[in-house]
Amino acid sequence: MVRMANPFETLGLAPSFAIDPTRLEQRQRELNRAVHPDRHAGKSSAERRQALSRAMDINLAYRTLRDPASRAVALLETIDAGASEEAASSDLSLLGEMLEQRERLEESRRERDLNRLHELAAGMAAREQRVLGDLERAFAGVLGAAPDAVERALGLQEARRLLSELRYVRRFSEEVSAIEDEF
Amino acid sequence: MLLDIFDPKAPPRPVGIDLGTTHSVLAYVRDGRPAAVTTCDGGPLLPSVVHFADHGQVIVGKSAQSYLEREPERTIASAKRFMGRGWGDPQLAALGTYRFLPPRSEADAKVVHFDLGGASTTAVEVSAEILRSLVRSAGEQLRSVGGAVITVPAYFDDAQRQATRDAARLAGIEVLRLINEPTAAALAYGLESKTEGTFAVYDLGGGTFDITLLHLEDGVFQVKSTGGDSALGGDDMDRALAERLLRAMGFDAPESAPRPVIALALGSARDAKHRLTESESVSIELPRRGGGELTLTVERSEFESWIAPLLERTGKAARRALRDAKLAAADLDGVILVGGATRVPSVRRYVAELFAREPLADIDPDLVVAYGAALQADQIGRDTAETLLLDVLPLSLGIETMGGAVDRILPRNTTIPVGAKATFTTYADNQTGFELHIVQGERELARDCRSLARFTLKGIPPLPAGQARLEVSLNVDENSLLQVHARELSTGLEQSVEVKPSYGLTDEQVEQMLEDALDHGEEDFERRRWAEAQVEASRLLLATDKALAADADLLDARERQEIPEHVARLRSALDAGAEPRTPGAQASRVQALSQALDDATHAWAGRRMDRAFAGALAGRDLRSVADSVEHARGVDSHLAEHQKGSAP
Repeated sequence: MVRMANPFETLGLAPSFAIDPTRLEQRQRELNRAVHPDRHAGKSSAERRQALSRAMDINLAYRTLRDPASRAVALLETIDAGASEEAASSDLSLLGEMLEQRERLEESRRERDLNRLHELAAGMAAREQRVLGDLERAFAGVLGAAPDAVERALGLQEARRLLSELRYVRRFSEEVSAIEDEF
Repeated sequence: MLLDIFDPKAPPRPVGIDLGTTHSVLAYVRDGRPAAVTTCDGGPLLPSVVHFADHGQVIVGKSAQSYLEREPERTIASAKRFMGRGWGDPQLAALGTYRFLPPRSEADAKVVHFDLGGASTTAVEVSAEILRSLVRSAGEQLRSVGGAVITVPAYFDDAQRQATRDAARLAGIEVLRLINEPTAAALAYGLESKTEGTFAVYDLGGGTFDITLLHLEDGVFQVKSTGGDSALGGDDMDRALAERLLRAMGFDAPESAPRPVIALALGSARDAKHRLTESESVSIELPRRGGGELTLTVERSEFESWIAPLLERTGKAARRALRDAKLAAADLDGVILVGGATRVPSVRRYVAELFAREPLADIDPDLVVAYGAALQADQIGRDTAETLLLDVLPLSLGIETMGGAVDRILPRNTTIPVGAKATFTTYADNQTGFELHIVQGERELARDCRSLARFTLKGIPPLPAGQARLEVSLNVDENSLLQVHARELSTGLEQSVEVKPSYGLTDEQVEQMLEDALDHGEEDFERRRWAEAQVEASRLLLATDKALAADADLLDARERQEIPEHVARLRSALDAGAEPRTPGAQASRVQALSQALDDATHAWAGRRMDRAFAGALAGRDLRSVADSVEHARGVDSHLAEHQKGSAP
């Protein structure tokens, strides 16, 4: 498990799940312009060390926020520090569904049914988009104008559930493309 | 040629070095343009060959090349292929005919030692000799040589990069940065000024072929895929032609001809290859077996048909690289030619067909990498550089978990520098030691990846399984070089170990090699240390003065008092001993005082960095506000005009 300082703070961005990737990248480059070791080549070693460690933080924060899953983890840590990430009880219906999908995947692999494989892949890609949209809404609700304690707790629970769904969906998609490569 | 006028106060000039497999080049920027220095061989190219003569003399370049035939076991060519490789590396057998010394100790086994017959050397030392020779030539032409940007192949792993840096350290060169060769070639063509694009770098050298696909976005070069053939190059073209020549001379089995005859045929073939880039046909004069002369005419078209199979092999590797990057040739925005063998006209035609576009070839393909490195060195040396080159991690870094799988901590193509932490827990009750294995590569199992470091963290307090927590930090600097730290968190009792990767050289080994390399004994070594201490101290004083002028308001009361005291002490130590009688002792004194000043400014440097950081953030916000205002004004004025127009 990778741990890190609050990446939103590091990059000077307001905590949010909806992040414009272009803006994120611009921010990373601007901050690197200020602290990249190349910019401090002639300075004292104390300054060079400081510059290096900040550039390292910036690039880690960038990588964390660029990926929606790690961004969601970071956001949960920011909003709800202290709560364990695995607090969400595993969603049994999701688990059952994924097992079913996996059987279909296995079948199409056995029967070398490329069409069906593509169908499964497209279905998962669409589902990933849907989950990302839901996550964005769930986080917006939690971070929005003063939600009450119950709303907040429910929102966080929903975000956790969606995060684990996102991970399942992704892992599944990876397996599909691995099988596609076999053909 | 313009001569640089000697100016003793001129700042040291940063340089770029292409440390190549077959030859090496040093370049620098003069009046905004890159230029290569003339090496001891009289041209810009220094053959990467080092001969170790009996009496301890070291010969580099063309003169060393002549020993390849006569004393092959004391003459090392292509040392680059051995960089970062240890004893028992499966690649060693495939890499040539050198003899290696079995290691004397475990530490010894991390670096492969060439057996020179009574002496030994390493790829790092051989590379250091090449670097030293280049810098010596540069020193004669530039007077004062500063730090260097050194290029490495994009696929070089941490061990190979560390070895390259060790070679530079051994040669007494400050490494400003290690950059990837294809990135350097792209810099030489000024491609970083484009906002976006995907480029192929086709590098056909003397003995190696590399193809790299680079993606550029907003000044960041990412390596999308690399491929190639480590035993394919211009030398194979010479061999293909030489084979025909030998047959014509009367040797029906060319490979069993006497060695001097083969050498002669190879020389004639190389010469003919060069002439065929200009002429449609060349005539070659050769001795006939059993006496007599023979004149042979070779048409360019004949030569081209002989080398066609070689080009097909490059095409195959290039297509595979495209497939790996999930790209089609049509997706590319440009192709760059690197390496002397790309001068052959049919190579250019082949590349143009392969990628369906004319390749960029205006810059000398032998110098283009060094030029790019020089341009980058020039940027680093400047405070007000316009471009910032961000690199990415070439291969993923991970930690072996129980069961031999790899927990990938930093995936490849992560922008560097970067640091990441991972936590692990103990798996047995009362476990007091924890073994960690750091690996690099893309494979799932640790044993299929490159092993970088293996160490045991000891002294963990005895606790039930899962209670003790270990935090492992992997820190990668801007040169893709790794440092590993581990500490134990559970007890609040923090333990910190710094881990040197399990290959390469320790600082002590480098010091020792430095001492060994200086054949003029102790005194010179001390003088050199004194000179280095002086340079470092002057730099530190200058940096501190600048920082005081800019950010004195960030000093706390204690620093306000202490820092000037440290400065004064260091300055007087420097002034007192311009020509000290005991340079070694004086060097140690200055180094200690420099360290003290550096320590005293550490916290302040952090605050200054925070300010720069805040400035960068604020600058961004102001600018984006300004952008949107400008945009809004545009709409307003447009509306205003529209209203004006429609007004009666």
